[in-house]
Amino acid sequence: MTDQPTTDVAEPEEETSNLPPKVPRLPPGEWMKKNLFSSIGSSILTVIFLLIILAATRGLLGFAFSPDRRWDATATNMRLLFAGAYPQTQFVRMWVSLGIIVALGGLSTGVWRAGGRMYLTSLLTKGYGIGGSVVLGGLLAPFSGSARVSYFVIGGLIIAAMIAVQAATDEDTTVATLVVGVVGISTAVGSFWVIPYGHHAFVDGAPLTRDGTVAATTKGPLTVMVVLAVLTYFLGRAIADHLDLSWPRMVLGLSWLVSPLVIVFFVLRDPDFDYDHIFSTEVPIFLAYAVGGGLGLFALASPRIGELGRIIAAVTLIAAAATFLTPMLQVIRVLALALAVFALAAPTFSGNRAARLRYITVWAGVVLAMLWLITAINSPATVESNTSFFTGGLALTLIVASFTMILSFPLGVILALARTSDLPLFRVMSTTYIEFVRGVPLITILIFFSVLFPLFLPDGMEVTEIAAVTIGFTLFSAAYMAENVRGGLQSIRRGQYEAAEALGMTTAQKTVFIVLPQALRVSIPPLVGQTIGTYKETSLLAVIGLFDLLFVARSLIPNQTSFIGSVREQLLFASVIYWMGAYAMSRASQNLERKLGVGER
Amino acid sequence: MSDAASASVRDLSGAANMIECEGVSKWYGDFQALNSVSATIKEQEVVVVLGPSGSGKSTWIRCINKLEHHQEGRIVVDGVELTNDLRNIEKIRSEVGMVFQQFNLFPHLTVIDNITLAPIWVRKKPRSEAESMARSLLDRVGIPEQADKYPGQLSGGQQQRVAIARALAMEPRIMLFDEPTSALDPEMIKEVLDVMKELARSGMTMIVVTHEMGFAREVADRIIFMEDGMIVEVGTPEHFFTNPTEDRTKLFLSQIL
Repeated sequence: MTDQPTTDVAEPEEETSNLPPKVPRLPPGEWMKKNLFSSIGSSILTVIFLLIILAATRGLLGFAFSPDRRWDATATNMRLLFAGAYPQTQFVRMWVSLGIIVALGGLSTGVWRAGGRMYLTSLLTKGYGIGGSVVLGGLLAPFSGSARVSYFVIGGLIIAAMIAVQAATDEDTTVATLVVGVVGISTAVGSFWVIPYGHHAFVDGAPLTRDGTVAATTKGPLTVMVVLAVLTYFLGRAIADHLDLSWPRMVLGLSWLVSPLVIVFFVLRDPDFDYDHIFSTEVPIFLAYAVGGGLGLFALASPRIGELGRIIAAVTLIAAAATFLTPMLQVIRVLALALAVFALAAPTFSGNRAARLRYITVWAGVVLAMLWLITAINSPATVESNTSFFTGGLALTLIVASFTMILSFPLGVILALARTSDLPLFRVMSTTYIEFVRGVPLITILIFFSVLFPLFLPDGMEVTEIAAVTIGFTLFSAAYMAENVRGGLQSIRRGQYEAAEALGMTTAQKTVFIVLPQALRVSIPPLVGQTIGTYKETSLLAVIGLFDLLFVARSLIPNQTSFIGSVREQLLFASVIYWMGAYAMSRASQNLERKLGVGER
Repeated sequence: MSDAASASVRDLSGAANMIECEGVSKWYGDFQALNSVSATIKEQEVVVVLGPSGSGKSTWIRCINKLEHHQEGRIVVDGVELTNDLRNIEKIRSEVGMVFQQFNLFPHLTVIDNITLAPIWVRKKPRSEAESMARSLLDRVGIPEQADKYPGQLSGGQQQRVAIARALAMEPRIMLFDEPTSALDPEMIKEVLDVMKELARSGMTMIVVTHEMGFAREVADRIIFMEDGMIVEVGTPEHFFTNPTEDRTKLFLSQIL
């Protein structure tokens, strides 16, 4: 299967200009002389570090392939590692969630026409590296003689295939990077159907191992995912070819934003809605806010309303704040606050009839989304597990990480704007907050939020431990995000502010249209660094006893009677999973940076 | 020179006052940047402000649209006095267009978006109307084919012409130019000056801070010479270039001509 990429050199792409530049290559002998053995000192260093690398590789392989390793503990507990105690009977919901993400990914790749082409030679170089590594691994790992030979044979076959491909194609052959990716993933998933990795599962609480390929409940859905990714990609391409692009892109962007909410509160949790209550309470509230608030906003967004509009908006804000003084439904208070924010922002987005209608449509959408979300959160779940939260493992890690990122980003931007504001009150408040949070260890904040925070809530309001901890993560992460965004804000030249001011823009318009788009672009690298940090820091959930990936790997599996003490294997596996996520994010941000760099200076 | 003659002879005595400055003073700490500047600019008048660097020329025109705040005196633009009232400032800024030395285009927006942003969000125009106006303005400044490029892909002269189109899109009654050609390579200066000449001929009220003597001689109705934050001499180009009265003006002219 390794030589498959060569067959995909077809499909002439319209652009060849986005190919990476082709660097002339030195013959291997000269390359080594120049880069590894240029002087006596560097030769010595090269030899020393090669020995260290070989010894480390030997140690790692010796650990991983030792017959004492309980990898069957990892294989048997895959479900626990990825989804915690999520009920087996409902497991299809997990796959649907993954499917939503895969479909969004496929559509986005197609609509944005992502992926370029790469030279086949650079792919072959990687192939040689893989083949060489397999041979080297066979040499170093503590195998029996026959296993060792089979590794040599596999490595040799890979290298031979690469040589054959290289002989059959010329230097300038290119392949689409997407095709390379799909072939790679299909090969991996396809191997589940062919190669007898073994079938591991818990049957009635006892681990069971059978020979043969992996369980159909694993390989089946994974195959569907690959097919789904390819199909949605072509659907995305079709949309890109036939429609004006701005709409699909906006819809997709919004879908990404709400997908964590939909997945967690709707797909995974499956709220049991009380429809009588919804029709008697939620629907009237929605109508009152969407229609009544919408009419008010339509008037406030009139360009002619002038000073009166600001006064009405201020009164709305005070009224919204006053709702907290009297007992009433939480939803009404929250929506009143949202309405006040929309009223305050109305002059910024005011305009002709079409612009005002667009504004109140957005408002109605926000009311619907907030109401639906609050109702879903407050409804009991039909999916129950015997843990405090209905899922765990990697799923919990990803849920906490993605909610933290989504919530802390806007908060961080607001904090950064406040810290650079001209108003001393905002500046002092924001600076105090940021400096305070940055001076406290994250674990302290987490313990505070999991243990003490619920005690500070007003009567009749309660949050789950997960929600409390996510708030803690968010508040912590926002302080760091704010500093990153502030760096971006400071990079914007004075002239940009002056040009916007000279055109008569208000402070809000200047911030939204001119300052933030440029500042956030500059802040992408540090923001992604922060995001990766947050993703890894979710492992602190294990310390406060929540069943995240690390807790499952470190405490749950090694305590199972069948797999007592198998902690090192699980930690190695968890590390690989964390690394794959972090590496993927880092590569994605590099691509994003390159894309956004287009057209600037 | 026939053009220059006709421009200088233009009779503006009956025109309304567009900008009135009375005893405008400004300090940066202990340094006095403007010292009691008084001047009146009439509708459709083109005034060129000359003077050595650091003489307060830019500071003065930046006070006229409140990018800088004057501390003494009064400035009245089109009948509205400049105060610290926010609404006042926004109203005046949307009537006064400004072109900067460093262009200050928005690098993250295409040329057409640079031009339409303020008309759509400040003037509340429908997008289609704003876009068709932007295209006709790009036509007017001679670069209709660059509409969908980003500023970074244009030459300096093209960027400055986009900046002029961006200011004109707000349909201002006054245009301020703060050394519009000083950051340009010599071969691009002419294309920008040509646009400005065309604008002057169309009857726009303009204040131009520049070092382009040819432009001043040809287009200006009046020349104001400033030094050390004060207006030293005011006169027609004819008077200014051939028969200046003040010694400091003579010295300045002898250094640059």
